[in-house]
Amino acid sequence: MSTTAVETTAHRPAESGGWPVVAEEETRELWIGGRGPILLFAFSILLSAITYLAASNRAMNFLEQREAVNLTVQVALSVGVLLTLVVSADAISGERERGTLEVLLLTPVSRRAILGGKLFAAMTLWLACLVVVLPYLWVLGRGVAVAGQAALLAFCVGTSVALGLAGLGLLISTVSSSNKTSLAAGLLMLLVLFAPTQLPALPKTGFGELLIRINPIGSALHYLSQVLVGRRAWTHDLSYLASPVILAVLVCVVFLVAGPAIVKLHAGVSPE
Amino acid sequence: MPTLEATDLSKRYGSRTAVDGLSFAAQQGEIIGLLGPNGAGKTTTIRLLTTILRPSGGSFSVAGITGDHPARIRERIGVLPESAGYPGRPTGREYLRYAARLFGRDRSKAAAVADRLLTDVGLGERAGSRIATYSRGMRQRLGIARALINDPQVVFLDEPTLGLDPAGQREVLATVRQIARERGATVVLSTHTLTEVEQLCNSVVILQQGRLLASGTVADVISTVGTRRSGHLRVPADLTRAAAAALAAVPGLGITESPDQPGVLTLDTATGAQQPWDDVLRALLAAGIHVLSFDTEATRLSDAFLSLTSPDEVPIPGSLEEHRP
Repeated sequence: MSTTAVETTAHRPAESGGWPVVAEEETRELWIGGRGPILLFAFSILLSAITYLAASNRAMNFLEQREAVNLTVQVALSVGVLLTLVVSADAISGERERGTLEVLLLTPVSRRAILGGKLFAAMTLWLACLVVVLPYLWVLGRGVAVAGQAALLAFCVGTSVALGLAGLGLLISTVSSSNKTSLAAGLLMLLVLFAPTQLPALPKTGFGELLIRINPIGSALHYLSQVLVGRRAWTHDLSYLASPVILAVLVCVVFLVAGPAIVKLHAGVSPE
Repeated sequence: MPTLEATDLSKRYGSRTAVDGLSFAAQQGEIIGLLGPNGAGKTTTIRLLTTILRPSGGSFSVAGITGDHPARIRERIGVLPESAGYPGRPTGREYLRYAARLFGRDRSKAAAVADRLLTDVGLGERAGSRIATYSRGMRQRLGIARALINDPQVVFLDEPTLGLDPAGQREVLATVRQIARERGATVVLSTHTLTEVEQLCNSVVILQQGRLLASGTVADVISTVGTRRSGHLRVPADLTRAAAAALAAVPGLGITESPDQPGVLTLDTATGAQQPWDDVLRALLAAGIHVLSFDTEATRLSDAFLSLTSPDEVPIPGSLEEHRP
């Protein structure tokens, strides 16, 4: 073995802080490593079943065409966000368990950049889900010119929800002592947020409306149905998007402000 | 100016103190051994100096950068952490390219440095194989290559030979020596294998329960616990008793007869004894005893280490009270 003489210059990440490098590697690991394609395959199977049910209901006049499109968008959003959360909840705690986090922390890439790169990689799964849902929307929305609108809505609203919840999953991952804890906490959070949207008779005023508005998933799904089924203008119920947008912004602010303090070798809230 | 300097460095977790007032320094090109029993604070010390942990007190500088600029320190150091994990899917080449790009190299330079380092550590032929197929020794060498990816001025190696077979240990140690000699980098080597330290290190730092027990060159550290030495004397078997009787007059000498090897005496000098072997040979000549062979060995670092870290448990072979005829 032989080694070469040392260069005296220090090597530092690019002006971007190194997050694109982390994002590229994490995305490659997600998609070439096999986890992304498997999750996406499961997503497409589920979506096929939902689309089949929606199409057959529509054929029997149990469901309007717009309702069928809305149902598919809602399922796509809910499940796509779930998958994004699963990926992000593994991001830091998984590295910690595999013993690879220390090596990453030993590079000059900032901890904010590490979070940003990992969040980007998780979001690629949501974007892939969005691509998968497009042909289903086209099939269900033919004739009423709603597929394009549904796709655009799913992109705008869904990306906001996915960003917020993936960020929350990532935050949970930074403070979780094990990967299982992180995943369980993330899924529990999603269940708590998703369950109220399935309640059949949630009052639309007072406390019921408050519950819908503060729940980023509930309010996003409500907004989607108002536009796609209720044929409201995009701007009419825009206030319903406050909670997903606030959540996404809040998560980004937490990453920027507290990123260096929360990405640590050991889990927990104590200082290192 | 030292390349590495710690002054009164401390790390506390609540009421538990992991590192307590540690001070030491190392110069460029020096290999410094960080020694101590399990839980002594070696890994914590390395994590403090590599900016993974924040110190509770004291200060340090690495490669001329003070500890309050962690990102600038990380640009200048290379680290092989204890029990470092490796992703299984990427190849060795992909792994090092990614590491190089994290240090700001563009794609082509990252590829070049990855290939060069893989060749340097003897993994050139397995560069395209998945890390999952690497043996433990190959992973350790890959980890060392990763630690060198930014041409560091200071390299921290935490138990680099742990779990390696003798051949693997020898290869890793040769690499460590070359890092210091050819790259001019300062190497901090944490290990339990004291023979490695004696062979490689210019100086040592011995820790116990987070506190500095001794530091300095290997010779300095040995001298802090005295200069106990031992020797093996071989005389004709029928003269064993006579030899032991002749040597009983030598002050500060312990004598042990070997029950399995007639004619062989193990001699042990007490701490502080001066020029004992001259007196031994003089006594044997005066008694007219023919010496077949006489080998001596100096106090080793391991003796000093044991004496410092567990003084009550150090066996003193051939102690005077026990073996004086």
